[in-house]
Amino acid sequence: MKQDLTRRELLAGAGVLLVRPAWSRAAAAPTARVAVARCKTYGPELVPAMEKMFDQLGGLGGLVKGKTVAVKINLIGVRWQRLGNALMEDTFWTNPQVIGATVRLLGKAGARRIRVVEGPWSTTESLQEVMYSMNWKPQDILSAASNVEFENTNYLGTGKKYSRFMVPGGGLIYPGYDLNHSYEDCDVFVSLAKMKEHAATGITLSMKNVYGTTPITIYGQDAGVDEPSLRPHGGRGGVFHFANRLPSKSAPQQKDMSLPKDAGFRLPRIIAELNSARPVHLAIIDGVKTATGCETNYGSPSRPQAAVNPGVLIAGTNCVATDAVAMSVMGFNPMADRGTPPFATSDSMLRLAEDLGVGVRDLSRNEVVGTPIKEVVFDYTAVREKLLAAQKKV
Amino acid sequence: LDIARREKEKGFAAETAEVLRRWQDPASLAAVQGTPVNCLVVSWAAGLPADASQQQALKPLIDKGREAGLGFVGLIEGEANQPAALAAAQSAGLSAVAMEGNPPGGAGVPVIPWSKSAQARSAATSPILGISDGLWPGLPQAAAATGGPTNLPWVDSNGAVLLIARALAPDKTVWVGFDPPQQQAALAAEAYVLAVADPASHGARWVISLDDALRADLSAKKQPAADTWKKLIDTAAFFEQHRQARTYQPSGLLAVMSNFAGPDWDAGEEAINLLPRIRQPFRVIARSRAAGASFTGLQAIYYVDQEPPDAGLRKKLVAFANGGGTLFTPSKWPNPEGKPAPAEPYLLFSMRAVGKGRLAVCKEDRPDAYDTVADIQNIMSHRNDLLRLYNAPSANFLYETSAQGGQGVIHLLNYSRRPGSDGPLFYVKEPHKSARLVSPEIASPAELKWAPQEAGGAELSLPRLSVYGAIELEK
Repeated sequence: MKQDLTRRELLAGAGVLLVRPAWSRAAAAPTARVAVARCKTYGPELVPAMEKMFDQLGGLGGLVKGKTVAVKINLIGVRWQRLGNALMEDTFWTNPQVIGATVRLLGKAGARRIRVVEGPWSTTESLQEVMYSMNWKPQDILSAASNVEFENTNYLGTGKKYSRFMVPGGGLIYPGYDLNHSYEDCDVFVSLAKMKEHAATGITLSMKNVYGTTPITIYGQDAGVDEPSLRPHGGRGGVFHFANRLPSKSAPQQKDMSLPKDAGFRLPRIIAELNSARPVHLAIIDGVKTATGCETNYGSPSRPQAAVNPGVLIAGTNCVATDAVAMSVMGFNPMADRGTPPFATSDSMLRLAEDLGVGVRDLSRNEVVGTPIKEVVFDYTAVREKLLAAQKKV
Repeated sequence: LDIARREKEKGFAAETAEVLRRWQDPASLAAVQGTPVNCLVVSWAAGLPADASQQQALKPLIDKGREAGLGFVGLIEGEANQPAALAAAQSAGLSAVAMEGNPPGGAGVPVIPWSKSAQARSAATSPILGISDGLWPGLPQAAAATGGPTNLPWVDSNGAVLLIARALAPDKTVWVGFDPPQQQAALAAEAYVLAVADPASHGARWVISLDDALRADLSAKKQPAADTWKKLIDTAAFFEQHRQARTYQPSGLLAVMSNFAGPDWDAGEEAINLLPRIRQPFRVIARSRAAGASFTGLQAIYYVDQEPPDAGLRKKLVAFANGGGTLFTPSKWPNPEGKPAPAEPYLLFSMRAVGKGRLAVCKEDRPDAYDTVADIQNIMSHRNDLLRLYNAPSANFLYETSAQGGQGVIHLLNYSRRPGSDGPLFYVKEPHKSARLVSPEIASPAELKWAPQEAGGAELSLPRLSVYGAIELEK
């Protein structure tokens, strides 16, 4: 892996982009290498598969040796709502085995400190507590490497103040975001996501995972009006999806209040902004076991859901490129935009991020290594059609 | 009397008055023949001179009912000439009267205290404790589509007040009164099933009250009404068949202790309302009975009251903490025991190390009720959860065990009154020999299959339930 930049150098690089027009930023967006691996289970084959992918990307050492690494996992939604009897980690959440393997390999590559971060739904509970409530063993993750920590980033946590991340170029909806200190403390930011569809944004992969960095105390339904609330209550829908309330006034405010209040318009832009403001250095997507239909248990007759076993892992050094590969694995065209699945009712977050200079979605311009995509395609549309047909029969 | 009262209401129709008249016809007693209903509650006039005719009007119904072996309780509401009302009740052959306030001495007829939940006390000699301000259970109509901070929808349940009443008066049978919402069409049968099951699963009995449309349809012998009535009665019969569970006591690692009175009522009642929503099993201990209460099996006690306990109880509570428990107290806890211990700054409680355990003193005088129980659960830790419930967002559960702990029951109440897309799923930490699902919704009890979990414990998968089911556990 060629990247060997400090956080400050990376942010300084982003500053150069600030003065360029959008078309120029898209043209200058970096291409990247993305690795794909077949992995049918979370058993013994997992760590070798991940290690091989990281080697194919050039090794983790250059990226993380001696560095503080933040690993953003995905523990979305209300934890008491599973997809039938299927476990959350086998459907909607990043699997703890993948988290443990990532931590282990980051540690092995010389990471100085690893902080596993996430903003689980509407709670001040520590990530350990959330994991206990799912019958996980968080100590397995904590002991997978030296200096491993957890932080719930839905509020101030162990920090003294929130960290501000401005969107290079000024942003599309928000000029910047205030996040938990963990996202500034890290030299390397890893998005460790699940391969899923999303009700509002079509897909949720490594880029959408970054949406969960936004603290509920500022961007939640019950966030403080002037200052962040102390504790997180409610979801982000009011502020981000529908703009029926503003974030706390202490945070950067929406640039233009006349913008559409449509989640399909707003969310892809917010996601693109966040990925531009807080760049991902390593994107990892868990597609070993997952769910179709929606990001969490929001299924409906028109969006039937199923627990599935695509048996694939994807990793890359750029989130746009990595998500583009994941879209191909899911049977979608990464160049698709509004009106074409998976973006039937939303704009493409990949295209918007590309416009912001975050990365490139055209697979021909990126390098895909490891298992060929065609060997691991898991057609989400075919699964949906099958489920819809089964529903009709019933 | 009901007609006279209802006539003062806006929109009270003449047809409804006629239905109420027919309802007190002795012929209407046929509806309860052969059912578990063994007592009828009738509105009893307040003993004023103008009331004599109303009491006379009930005579045929009472006489016929008594012949059929039914008891009658006269419900006296509002301002009353108590001695006159009681004398009339005695002469009419009522089994008892139910009334608010203190009955006069030598009433001549048993008096059931009929009080609002916050005033319900056990001092009276009656074996029955009546609660007059129950809630029609279900999802609140105005807020059905919204979620609370837990993102689980709010539910209206009588569970909290009934568990408190049982804790205050463990030797009494608790009755609860609440009326159905009046609407144009008769309520769905499931609404009545829940109205029976919500109190019954909490060890109490609902004083059955039907909506006007159902009464009218029953009087007119309409089949849908008869079907609804049958479901209601079948549910009541189900709980009679499973009355053994009434001897069980709520069980959990947490106990909520309070006098549940005066300024402490709100905090105590709200905690007990919220704990089922965050899926935390608990016990209720009346402070007046705390000296004799066993703390065995508890991991934590939440002492709610602003008034600190007396020296004896404080000693007992601190001994519990010294032995490894966690004692949660309000901010008014003078000279807290132990030494300060590290704690997350956002927590509502400051932590102190006490012996092998902890003392958690609230930092705020009037803390938010939800944040309080959430922090209690957080400090207790999920690693010790006895039970977890998945896939039932509109449901509450109540875990109860037998005195020796060999048997247990998990009551599951679905306040949405319609089955979810997935069946409920329970995680059970402790191994059990058997688990059996019983429900008025299934023809016969069903053995449940244990699905052992890799990290310990096992899961039990239930079929989709509209309103109520119970898992009978045996160790």
